[in-house]
Amino acid sequence: MKRCKTKLILPALAGLTLLTACEQTAETAPNSGAANAELPNGLTVKEQVEARQGQLKKMGKAFKTISDQLKAGSPDLAQIQAAAAAVPKEAATMIDWFPEGTGPESGVETEALPVIWENKADFNLKVAALQDAAALLDSAAQTGDIAAIGAAFKTTGGTCKACHDKYRLDD
Amino acid sequence: MMADPARILVWDWAVRLVHWLMVILVPLLWWTAEEGYMDWHRSLGLTMFGLVLFRLIWGLIGSWTARFVPMLRRVGMLKSYIGKLRAREHGPTFGHSPLAVLGVFALLAALATQVTTGLFSVDIDGLESGPLAIMVSFETGRQFAEIHELNFNLLATLIGLHITAIAIYHFVLKEKLVRPMVTGLRSRSDFSAEQLPENRSRPIPMIAAAILSLASVMVILNFG
Repeated sequence: MKRCKTKLILPALAGLTLLTACEQTAETAPNSGAANAELPNGLTVKEQVEARQGQLKKMGKAFKTISDQLKAGSPDLAQIQAAAAAVPKEAATMIDWFPEGTGPESGVETEALPVIWENKADFNLKVAALQDAAALLDSAAQTGDIAAIGAAFKTTGGTCKACHDKYRLDD
Repeated sequence: MMADPARILVWDWAVRLVHWLMVILVPLLWWTAEEGYMDWHRSLGLTMFGLVLFRLIWGLIGSWTARFVPMLRRVGMLKSYIGKLRAREHGPTFGHSPLAVLGVFALLAALATQVTTGLFSVDIDGLESGPLAIMVSFETGRQFAEIHELNFNLLATLIGLHITAIAIYHFVLKEKLVRPMVTGLRSRSDFSAEQLPENRSRPIPMIAAAILSLASVMVILNFG
């Protein structure tokens, strides 16, 4: 703080820039501890957030594969089936990806909103809805019925959206 | 259409139609994206793609005031035009003024970037994507979406500047530019005779440009 004050004598713009810089360090300093705090599952908060982002990204990739193929004139069923099988597997442990303390208050960059932990029961229900829909998508994919796959994909996407609308930072 | 000898065509109907359709489409595209009506966003976006492409082709083979090469020549007069504006000695320009040329190029570049990145964009969940997103990976599609979002801010800023400029001309410089963009016509007496190039509407290039842009939209629509 003292350094900030002495620098404030500098011209307004330079002073403001420096002040912002000081504020930023003050903000991140106490949080680096929270980011490296160990969770009951053995991961640090930062590792947990990065792990769930990686898993959600894998699901996003699988969804893109299905959506690409559904849009294609002649869909590649093998690609759809592989992707559809991956989704329920990825999502199986999703409830465990959000332990207490892994929200934005940890200082780790995350779009997970604090309301998740205020409504954990509802959040878990929404995760379960995705898991059910993804299982149905998987079985629809195995039948090879493109219309049924399209419908199941839409339902699954709807469960993603239902949760994201409420529990993810709107970008 | 019967020609009124006192009035002269500044903007052909293709330029005006494209302009006003864009005025309608930009807010609709913004709104459908905000609200997540992605089916509509894709259809309207593809329509916008066709309009931008048509306008770019029209900039090569269209009427004189629509073409880019005469516009580029005007940029050389930028300094003297700004000087005249400041001294309030400027007169009406047939077509785009040297300043307006910069605006048109910036707007068209931003619009072209916007419609092109939209074709390849993928949303964060992998659920929604542009019509050509199958050509790119999830990560690349996400990068296109990032540019799509950033460039929209640039586009919105440019549109804001454009409207501000029109308002300044209207209220401060007392030059009414909106009506000619609706009717296409301005008073012949606004211009000296040597200022006036041939600015005919050109039906065959018009049909060619329309077919070419429509065909491109159809190719994208049936891609995959």
